[in-house]
Parts: sequence; C-alpha cells; structure tokens
Amino acid sequence: MFVRRVVVRSCNFRHFHDLRAYKEDPRWPGWQVIVGIETHAQIKSRRKLFSDSLTSHPDDPPNTKVSPFDAAFPGTLPKLNSKCVDLALRTAIALKCSVASRCSFDRKHYFYSDLPSGYQITQQYAPLASNGELEIKLQDIPSFKVRIKQIQLEQDTAKSTFHPRTSTSKIDLNRAGTGLMEIVSEPDLRSPEEAGAYVRTLQSVLRAMGSSDGNMELGSLRCDVNVSVNKKGNPPGTRCEIKNLNSVRFMMAAIIHEIRRQSEFLLANPGQSVPQETRGFDENTFETFRLRSKEDAPDYRYMPDPNLGVLVLSKARVEGIQRDLPALPWETRARLLEKYPKLTSKEKSLDVLLNVDNGREVGYDGEDSGGAIPVLTHELLGQLAARKESFSANPLTSEQFGELIDLVQNGTITGTSGKYILRHMLSNPSSRRPREIATELQLVALSSTPSPTSASSSSPTSELHALCKSAIADLPSEVAALRTGNKNVLNKIVGHVMRKSRGRADAVAVKALVEKIVTGE
Amino acid sequence: MRTNVARQLNQISTFHSHPSKLLEIRLGGQNSRPSGRTQSTWRDRRNCIIANNSSVNAFTHISQLPPPSIKGSLSGLSVAVKDNIATSFLPTTCSSAMLQDFASPFDATAVQLLQKSGADIVGKTNCDEFGMGSLNVHSIHGPVVNPFDVSERRSAGGSSGGSAAAVAAGMCDAALGTDTGGSVRLPASYCGVVGLKPSYGLISRWGVISYADSLDCVGILASDVDTVKRVFDSVALYDPRDPTSAPVDIRKVTSEHVDTKIHSRGSILTGLRFGIPQEYFPSEMSPEVLQHTRNVITLLQSQGAVVVPISLPSTSYALSCYYVLASAEASSNLARYDGVQYGTYVPPPPGTDITKTSRVYAVSRSAGFGPEVQKRILLGTYALSADAFDNYFLQAQKVRQLIKDDFDRVFGVPNYFSDSHSRRVDNADTSSQVDHKSDLSSYVQDVLTVPASLAGLPAISIPTNRTAGQAMGEGSSEDRWPIGVSIVGQWGTDSVVMAVASALEGLQRE
Repeated sequence: MFVRRVVVRSCNFRHFHDLRAYKEDPRWPGWQVIVGIETHAQIKSRRKLFSDSLTSHPDDPPNTKVSPFDAAFPGTLPKLNSKCVDLALRTAIALKCSVASRCSFDRKHYFYSDLPSGYQITQQYAPLASNGELEIKLQDIPSFKVRIKQIQLEQDTAKSTFHPRTSTSKIDLNRAGTGLMEIVSEPDLRSPEEAGAYVRTLQSVLRAMGSSDGNMELGSLRCDVNVSVNKKGNPPGTRCEIKNLNSVRFMMAAIIHEIRRQSEFLLANPGQSVPQETRGFDENTFETFRLRSKEDAPDYRYMPDPNLGVLVLSKARVEGIQRDLPALPWETRARLLEKYPKLTSKEKSLDVLLNVDNGREVGYDGEDSGGAIPVLTHELLGQLAARKESFSANPLTSEQFGELIDLVQNGTITGTSGKYILRHMLSNPSSRRPREIATELQLVALSSTPSPTSASSSSPTSELHALCKSAIADLPSEVAALRTGNKNVLNKIVGHVMRKSRGRADAVAVKALVEKIVTGE
Repeated sequence: MRTNVARQLNQISTFHSHPSKLLEIRLGGQNSRPSGRTQSTWRDRRNCIIANNSSVNAFTHISQLPPPSIKGSLSGLSVAVKDNIATSFLPTTCSSAMLQDFASPFDATAVQLLQKSGADIVGKTNCDEFGMGSLNVHSIHGPVVNPFDVSERRSAGGSSGGSAAAVAAGMCDAALGTDTGGSVRLPASYCGVVGLKPSYGLISRWGVISYADSLDCVGILASDVDTVKRVFDSVALYDPRDPTSAPVDIRKVTSEHVDTKIHSRGSILTGLRFGIPQEYFPSEMSPEVLQHTRNVITLLQSQGAVVVPISLPSTSYALSCYYVLASAEASSNLARYDGVQYGTYVPPPPGTDITKTSRVYAVSRSAGFGPEVQKRILLGTYALSADAFDNYFLQAQKVRQLIKDDFDRVFGVPNYFSDSHSRRVDNADTSSQVDHKSDLSSYVQDVLTVPASLAGLPAISIPTNRTAGQAMGEGSSEDRWPIGVSIVGQWGTDSVVMAVASALEGLQRE
C-alpha cells in the first residue's frame, strides 16, 4: 500500500505513449481529441455491498430498503458481500484484467447529504483488478482496443432530490450502499463515436456476465468522461472531467461540446492551457458547464478502512470463476453467425438480441422468409419496456419465442396475430406452446388458397371466402362504386374484412379475393 | 497534577451541580413487577445506585427491564454498560450532546450475550465523550467522582470512569467499558478495581460506537479477577457481524497452545517468565508507585516466577503514533454525526450559505461535540489531508508495526493473529507494566497503556495496595489512594493474563 501511493503520486503528470495513430476528423481539423471514461456500474446482486439490505429497484418506495448500516447508525459495521466480489471478478476476467491476490478498501471522505456516514468505502490504494483490455468491434466503426486501467469495488450513494421552492433536499437511502464497480479506462478513445462504441460494448459485456443491467436511463450505469484536445503533434492538453452522464447520446454530445469549447479556448489564448475543471452537462442546452476548478477540488482524506482489512483472493477462487464464465457477447455472436450464416443479413436484430442479457438462448431455425425476427424482437422489447419488466424476468421461454417466430415465418399466423399472441403470453404466463394458443384464440391465418392442413369443412379458405362475401353484402354502395371502376373503395371493403377476421387475414390476399368476387359476379 | 485534577473536577461540577438530576429514574413504571426475592434484589440494586449516584455520578440511566428470566452463567450478577455501547432499551448517549436523545434500534452483541447468560443489566454508565479522555471529565453528564473518597472530588479516571466507579462503589458486580488507548485500565487503576482489555477482536464490536475501530476493544471491570473472567467467558465469542472478530480457528489454535504450554504446568507463576520493559519507567513516575511495582516483582519471584529485564525500543514513539492513528480514525468515524438521520440537529442561523452541505452540518457539529472531541477531529482531519498523510498517518502506521514487532520479539507465545510471526525470538512469556494515577499529565500517563492497544494485546490492571487503605475515607496519607499494575500478554493469552492477575490477587490477600 505504501509503495502504491507513491507510484500514484508520481504519475500525476501524465507520461503519454500514444498507441493510436492520429486521424484527421473533418469536424475539427488539426485537433487531436483524447478521451478516457470512468464507468460506474451497479452490481446486480440481491443484497448490498456491505449490508444485509436487499438491493433496491428504482420503483421501490423511498427508504424501504435500508438497514441501520446503510443509514450509518452508530455501532454498525460493514460486512463484505462475497457475491458482489464474484460478479466484479467475472467482469474483471471478461475485461482481461489481472486480478490482485490481495486488495483492500479505503474511505473517501466528504460531507454531502447523500452520504450518511460522511465517507464512501472504495478501493483507492489497492483495487480488485487492473491492466485489462476491451476490443471494440462494431459495424459502423473501425475496430480498436481500449486499455482498462483498473476495476474497483465501491458503495453507491443515497439519492437526494432538491426542491428549489422550499430550499430543502429529500433523501432516499434505498440506493445507499449498493455495490458498484468502477471501471476506469486509459485515455485511449479518440472521438465521441469511439466513446459511444466503448460504452455500448462495455454494456454488452456487463449484461453477458450478469454483473450489471448496465442501464444508463435507469441509473445502473453512469459515466464520467475525461476530455482533452491538443494540436496535432503536440503533447496532450489539460483534461476536463464531465461528471454524471446518464445516456450514451448525452455523453457524446458532452464530448462534442467540450472539444469545441476547449479548441476555441486554445485558439483564443495562445500559449495557455485549458484550465483543469470538473464540469457538468446541461441536458437542455447540450452544453457543459463549470462545477469546480482544480483549486476547489476537495481533499478526500483517503484512509484505509480499519474494519475491512485485506481481501485475499485465492487462485482457486479466481480460476473457478474463470471456468464458469458465461459466454462473452462476441463469442456468442461468432457462434450464431457460424451456425446460421443467413443471420449475417440481420445483424442489427442479432445485436439487439445480444444486448438483452440472455439473447443467446433464443433458438432460431435459420429460415429466411420475411421480417419476423426484427418485428417480434422489437415488439417483445417494447412490450417489456412498457410493462417495466426486464428481459431476464420475462415469462417467455426461448423455445416459446422461437416457435412464435417460426409460426409467423411459415404463414401459420400473421405478423399482427404474432404480436397479439406475444402480448397475450406476457400477460398470461404459462408453459403452453404458441401454436396451441393461436388455435385456441382462433388466430390461425385465413389462407386464400386451399392447403393440406386446412382442408376441413370449416377450412380457413372457405371462412375467408365467407367473410368477403358478407362484407360485399354489408357494403352495397361501396360495391356499386367499385363496379363503376372506383378502386379507392376497395380499401374500405378490405378493412371491413380485416376487422371481421381479427387480424387473421392477409390484406393482399383479401384484396385479390374481393376483387375477384366482385368482378367475377 | 493530583491537585490539578481535583480542581478541574470542582470547576466542572459548578456547571453540573446536580448531576444526578440527569438520571432518568422511573422505577416500576409500566413494566411487569418482579416478584418475591428476585424483586427485592432487583429493587435493592436500583435503590443502591440511586443512593450512591448523587455523589459519584457513575450512572447516566437506570434500566427498568424486569429481572432476567434466563438462567445462565451470569445469573445473579448485576452488570452496568458503558454509555457508548448500544442498547435498545436505554438511551445510548456517548456522553455527547450530539447523541443526547439517541436510542439505538438494536442491542450490541456484548449486551445480547450478557442477557443470554442471565445477567441483570442495571443501567448505562458515564464516560468521556465518545471515549475520548483519560479522566472522565469530558461528559455532558458531568464528571465522575472517584468513590474512594468522594469528599476529595478526585477523578475516577477515564474514559470508562463511570463503569470503574460503579464497580468500586458497589453499585454493580461488573461493568462493560471500552478501551482504545487505556480507557478501561486507567479508571480501574484509579478506582482500585480490576480492569481487563482483552485481545483485539475477541469481544464483538457490533453495537460499540466507534472511536477508533482498529484500536477499540470492549473491556470488563469488576472488583475481582474471577468475576472479570466469568463475564469474559460469556461475551468473548466469535461474531459474524464484526468483520474484525477473530475467527473460531484462530481462537482455537491459540487456546490449545496456551493450554498445553502454560495452564498444564500446575501453579501458574512457577517458572513463568516475566519481562520488565525498561522503557516503562518514565522520569515522571513517583517513588511510591515505583515501590509498589517493586513489591509486586518481589512477590512474583517469591512464587518461582522468572523476572527478566527486557527492552521494547519503540515505546517512546507509541504515544505520538497512537494520537495520530486514533484521531485520524475518530475524524472519519465521527463524520456521520450530521443531524440528518439521527442525533442532534441545530438549524443554521439565517444568512448561512446553505448551498454548501458542510456549512449546514458545521452548525450541528459545532454545537453537538465538546472541545476534546473537536480537538481530536481537527487533529485527525489534518493527519489525513493530502499534504500530511505521508508524514503523519503512514508514518504512524509504520511505527505501529514496529511496536507490534517489539512485543512479538519478546513473547514466547507466537502471535497467531498477526500477519507475520516469523521473526519471533523465545525470550519471555509475559511482560508486566505499571499503571499509576499521579504525577503525569492526562496524556503522558497513556504512555504505559497505548503500546498494548497498538499491538492489540490483552492487558489487565489490578490494584496493588488494596490491603493498605482499602476502607473508604480513612486515613490521610497520599498512598492510601489506589495504584494499579498491568500484566500484558501475547495476543490471545487472555486466560494466562487473568490467571496471573488472579494469583497476584490471592497473594496480596494473604
């Protein structure tokens, strides 16, 4: 610990070895942009990092997931949750970090209403893991590598909400003490797009490892971004840190504004460097603003936590976690593409599925006849979002979802019916097969041509025929107009049939059939 | 110095002329009335406390809990608990305005274990604010008066002064205290009772309000070693809620070692090697204290003990090291008292810049903490600041290791609790050191107690001159006041330290 501190200190001025070649960006020609990101990911464990309280959900009523320790009651002591350590280890291994055989915890002190004990327990001097690497390979951007400086465990703070009218803050301790992984990248990113790609890739790793939901909107993933600019060929500029960015879009906008602001400052003040600052981001103006300067930087008075001692991570424990590591997203992607080459044309949908944490389980037979995969995938995610349910909690099994896709693809049901059955299955969870449900709800598609499966007396063909006939009978004036050559009314008749069929009919087939019946009479 | 202490007490007592008024005494109350003999014992105990407390000021609150229904190893024993140990049935004030009205939602593990063993918990005892002090004068409940002779209004020692005075005045059979740098041993010595600071990590700190976590120990005070041991055996158990609690396997390996090497040999003193550290005789030590120490050494030798001079060369740095580390941890541990979740909240006066959280907190913290606590918070905050950390905190941590090494070098029993016990040299089994109550300033007297705290070792203070002037208020010579001697052992040898104290106790009675 002693040695480490000295090392940290002497590195305060940055030794810069650029691994990335300079590449001109037409948006800011002549400028080099250097970005590093600190990510705080909430650990997806049942209980908090140092107490028995259950981890809270954003919908929980305030102050319902709180133990005396979380509220910093006198006489309470921390107890490390080994589940959180295991999940952080998984992440560390996935990010190719070297795991420390011994690590320890430190207290970071500051007075703020969202910090009941007056300090945050973190890992300042001896973090859990360090020296990792993440390779970014996305379709729309050339692939590159980002070095991971370190991963440390720490406590989340409470949530305080300021009410300007009464000048009071309301404190919700539900989040206080939740486990966080702080993942610190080296300054290896060179554009807002690369920063976005890094965060998206990191999200997919966290989800694949099951170590975090990685949801920026819900606050389970938050980013602090360090940005500096320098003239091409010059040493790196002074960095500014932008705190608490809670969406990839905002993060990229903040970086863009910061590049413009810093390069304008350097042009206006030749020979000077950008003042080192901590900045916030205004989501309305899309601009960053000053929070505090270097001189106002708080002294956190780091102190080794006297209660928690040294965490010894045995080789066996680390190896056990490595052995049982879930598949990494790029491994799953490669496996699926190899097994189902036709998926190559549907990579967007594949990525959507991979981004939900256990998308790799969805079975798909590789038939390629229509857009059932993207439609149903997006419908499923949309429905889950509307219901505020997570993908992992969704009642649909991968077999059910796979069969549903097949039913739409082979025309047994229409896309509309597929969506309807999907909603029905989400509202009425059961182990029943989608085909069974489709039959029960009479949603098997009405075909316009006879098929072997529907040759009975009440066959869909005859049913569709009957529906068209009754529509013609119901709408005599429209039929008359159609006969005089007014093709526009045809859509009205088709709509009538579609309503009566409750989405089971295919509009093109109905149109043809109605036309045939009317003109054929 | 002695007169200084007396004067100090008088000065403070003018502000607290009726300390007993602070007691919340509501005997009987809504609780079910105890019956028969149990009831009379139960009532007598509380009446005795009420009768004595107006002059001694040892208790802050008296328990109304009905007599214990559980029968156990501590049945029939009345035990008081220091007011910085959490109880759900009585306030836990830490003698601070900050926690004046604080009631803990839970009981400390030590308190639960006392109750499980059938002890009657009679009340909470006065102490220095958050355990910071050596004289028990820094308390919102007023100072504790040494019951040896209340007319002289002398200090009972601190910070567990209330616990020591309660035992000395016969208001309870035993008491829990806490010892961070001597806070059990000092008042035990001042009041003429037995005080044990066990090995660090043997008694759970869950529910003990932290002053300095790496040093805090729950200690036990009683009028004889036997009672101390009875209480110790009931509360010194592994507790998963305390991350610094010594694991069961380490407890086992240490006690097995001690049992085969020491307890199996028959008479405890025969052949046992005692080291007398040459650094433990500062020039400020008075001749009468020195004489009593010599008497104890002679007594040990007469029973076949081997006494050898030893050197613990890092001792001279112990006091500075202790005050840097303890204050640093205190500044951290006491950061939570901001009046938001619990405790005293003082609204900021109009015109305060309330956009800064620290400005709002400063109002409550300035009003809630006494001067000694504020002093240590400031000292500790400085020691942890970026500019001072390397020179103060890190330096003190290194010195602490040197002090541990000093002890590990001289003890024959290995330190099973420490990370490295490879450099051990067989030399002496235990070392003895001397406490005393006079002639040193309130900080300097800690010189003799803090090394054992820094090294996490068991230390027991027992009275050396009980036969000389035991009766209260008799005689007029200075040396009738109690003097204590401390026995320190290797980590985990609490049973040896107590056995030696018990043997000495027996010899003095003869």
